[in-house]
Amino acid sequence: MQQVLLKAIEVATQKYGASYAEARAQKLCKTMFTLEEERVETAKQGIESGVALRVLVNGAWGFVSVGSFEDDILFTAVSNACIMAKTASQQLKNPIKLASAKVITDCVKVKPKKNPADIALEDKIQNFLQINKTIQQYDQRIKSCTVDYLDLIGSSFFVNSEGTDIQQDKLFVWSRITASAKSCGIFTFSREEIGATSGYEVFETQFPQDVGETVARRAVAQLVAKTPKGGKAPVVLGPSVVGVFVHEAFGHLAEADLALSGGILFNAMGKKIGSNLVTFYDDGTIPGAFGSFKYDDEGVPVEKTLLIKDGVVTGLMHNRETACKFGTQSTGNARAEDFRVEPIIRMCNTYMAPRDYEVKELLDGVKSGYFFKSFRGGQANIDGTFQVGIQEGYEIVNGEVGAPVRDASISGNTLEILLKVDAVGKDFVIDSGRCGKGQTAFIGDGGPHIRLSEVVVGGSA
Amino acid sequence: MVVLEKNEMIALAEKAVRVAIVKGVSEAEAYVCEDYASDVSIELGQITKNSQVIDRGIGVRVVVNKAVGFAYTNIVNDPVAIEDIVVRALSAAKASKSDVNWQGFAHKTSYVSVLEGTFDSKILEIGSDELMYMSQTMIDSAVQIDKNVIVAEGGVGSGYGSVAVVNSSGVCGFDRGTVIECSLATLAKDGNRVTPVCFEFDAARNCSIDPVWVGQEAAKLSVSSLKTKLVETKTTTLLLTQFALQDLLGHTLFNAIMADSVQRGQSPFKGRIGEKVVSENLTIYDDGLYPYGINTQLFDGEGVSRQKTLIIDKGVLKNFIYDNYTAKKEGKVSTGNASRAGYLSTPCIGTTNFHIMPDASSADDLIRQIDDGLLIYYLQGAHSSNPVSGEFSVVASPVWKIKNGDLVFAARDVMLAGNIFDLLKNVKIVGNNERQVGSLIAPWIVVENVRVIGK
Repeated sequence: MQQVLLKAIEVATQKYGASYAEARAQKLCKTMFTLEEERVETAKQGIESGVALRVLVNGAWGFVSVGSFEDDILFTAVSNACIMAKTASQQLKNPIKLASAKVITDCVKVKPKKNPADIALEDKIQNFLQINKTIQQYDQRIKSCTVDYLDLIGSSFFVNSEGTDIQQDKLFVWSRITASAKSCGIFTFSREEIGATSGYEVFETQFPQDVGETVARRAVAQLVAKTPKGGKAPVVLGPSVVGVFVHEAFGHLAEADLALSGGILFNAMGKKIGSNLVTFYDDGTIPGAFGSFKYDDEGVPVEKTLLIKDGVVTGLMHNRETACKFGTQSTGNARAEDFRVEPIIRMCNTYMAPRDYEVKELLDGVKSGYFFKSFRGGQANIDGTFQVGIQEGYEIVNGEVGAPVRDASISGNTLEILLKVDAVGKDFVIDSGRCGKGQTAFIGDGGPHIRLSEVVVGGSA
Repeated sequence: MVVLEKNEMIALAEKAVRVAIVKGVSEAEAYVCEDYASDVSIELGQITKNSQVIDRGIGVRVVVNKAVGFAYTNIVNDPVAIEDIVVRALSAAKASKSDVNWQGFAHKTSYVSVLEGTFDSKILEIGSDELMYMSQTMIDSAVQIDKNVIVAEGGVGSGYGSVAVVNSSGVCGFDRGTVIECSLATLAKDGNRVTPVCFEFDAARNCSIDPVWVGQEAAKLSVSSLKTKLVETKTTTLLLTQFALQDLLGHTLFNAIMADSVQRGQSPFKGRIGEKVVSENLTIYDDGLYPYGINTQLFDGEGVSRQKTLIIDKGVLKNFIYDNYTAKKEGKVSTGNASRAGYLSTPCIGTTNFHIMPDASSADDLIRQIDDGLLIYYLQGAHSSNPVSGEFSVVASPVWKIKNGDLVFAARDVMLAGNIFDLLKNVKIVGNNERQVGSLIAPWIVVENVRVIGK
């Protein structure tokens, strides 16, 4: 495989004068199914193979993706990429340059305890049908439950014109479990996701039936919940909400491409934007976590990047192009969903570092507010406004967790909200999730329980 | 550009079905896709990238003892690969479970003889030079609006797609189409003030997009949201643009009218056909044959003819949308709403061109008819709405305050909360300025009694 990729790169550099060229080939096998109540919607298996060719000619990018490994198709593709890059460079004022990167030769093998490829599809389906059974039997008010399952196994090959040559195994397992409940005209909805890069064993450490029960319990409990009162309130956030909060309210802004496009962190290095308790990392090196890998899709080793330390901005997430613009090195955050798309800057596992509070102490400080335990989606804008939806929340009255509230959300602006972090717990959890930025990336996010002295809570009451 | 011809695409699909039948399956279906996309990308005010993606593949569904298995591959020029994919589909079916409600693939239906405005051979001839020219025009149009405008990102792309579907119940179809699209995201920066990213786009099935308009509109929107004020927390009137509507409806109302949601008890509309469920000012069709519609096609993901389905007539719920499976379960016929993500997925129910019928008022007329309210452009977090109950709690930005029929200032930090199904009961006026955003074709809409959380 590497031989033909190397030849394609040679065409780019020698025939078309490309200053940089890379070829990224993938062979992926996916297994998927969807269970709706006791029905298996369809069991699915897929093969996706192809090559992404990216070249830099006269300071502009050319990119071509093809679903083939054949010599002549790849040579035509790389020629097209070079001609297209040349065309794109015609009106370029600021040519693209790449920060230097170490030349790497490596072969990365995954060693799962349980390789999903070794488990019969039938057994996977049977295992997950148990979850739906658990959910349906939990309460007669449960109206539906859906399990989506995916495992992805494959290998990727990366070579570039600087001599880097990496072969890397890929392995992801993922599942999403949802349930809906209905009673007296009230509809509720609940969701959990499990994901890992370790192996199928993750479904044995996090027992599917327990997850099913969590999802079912939440859907049913919400039937009696009330809508929260809209307005400002102190809140305690659970690790799952903190993870999404870090991801949305800060993480996207710390992606160097967004910072460059006019984002609020463009000139923020060294500035204090949060309370002393705010320390955030993006870490792609956590073994088995959903957002972990060894080399990114530009062949750069992934890092543990300190983004904010004690409230002061200390770093951004880079690819080689943005690193050059900021005069630094890539942090290994260039990721591509597959060979059909180019690598862009994505988070890996983004989290808040724990401190020293017990959860009870966090709650004790709140007279009247909310405890938001689990999230349902979130979104950010470049000006620092963010929103995180809540799927499980409770009132806090005099430091005690009280009645459940339904369909709340929190919102605000990053530059104000990080200063409102007034206590941080000592516990720590990382969740698995997916992030959309044109492409889908598997990510992790998390942290401890935290308290915000004040945040805008969206509610219709 | 060398594309697979109609007969080659159909032959590939027929071959897969034949191989499957020989292997003893009771039914088989093959879905072959080919997509070409050519894009010019803009980053930080300049053109930096030119890309081309060619994607082909085949997805095969087979049925054994009423259990469905599916497999796909993007290697289509190798006879062994087709054989292999059938074997994989078969093994998936065997690992699956019989479904008592399975009543066979869709049968052959006739397709409309002429489909208006879905294919323009000129789009196939557009070179990257022309895409570059349009991109530069768009950038220039934006920065000429104001010195504070920053062009964050955007691009121009053209695409061609073709599909062939063949099944063992006599379905055999081929369709092809083109699309061209340009989009620009801008913001404005003045000192320390940064606006949210303002986005505008234009998309069409023929060569009729307007990059100048896109550049100007995106820039105007960001400049005008530089100076903002806070608004009061209260219950008020909203004027919703297509972007806001698409976001709100896409995660709630669209689900509520899908037959699978209804059958599984996930829709508040279950058992309410014939009842008034929303404001009498709303009439809505799902129209898969809408001339020049972005999602207009000859047939759906199962080879069933696309059609125009009346969903809501003056507020009264008339129909749900069906694929083959959910329709047969109720002894009905599919409404041609099986949607597929290319060769990679099995069909699931989806809207096509979801058309909210326009009324008489222009955008200016709508604003003039509001004494006190907000004009809402984009929403953040609509995907965190409760898809079953329709409850939402989102951030709106940019937003304009409307007072006595005039736009008076831009607002920030505005949250909206409520229930989309209640909101749809309070639709007061429907405009005439319709356009397509995603699958939604709609004008601006005025709704009353929405909770706004401000300062």
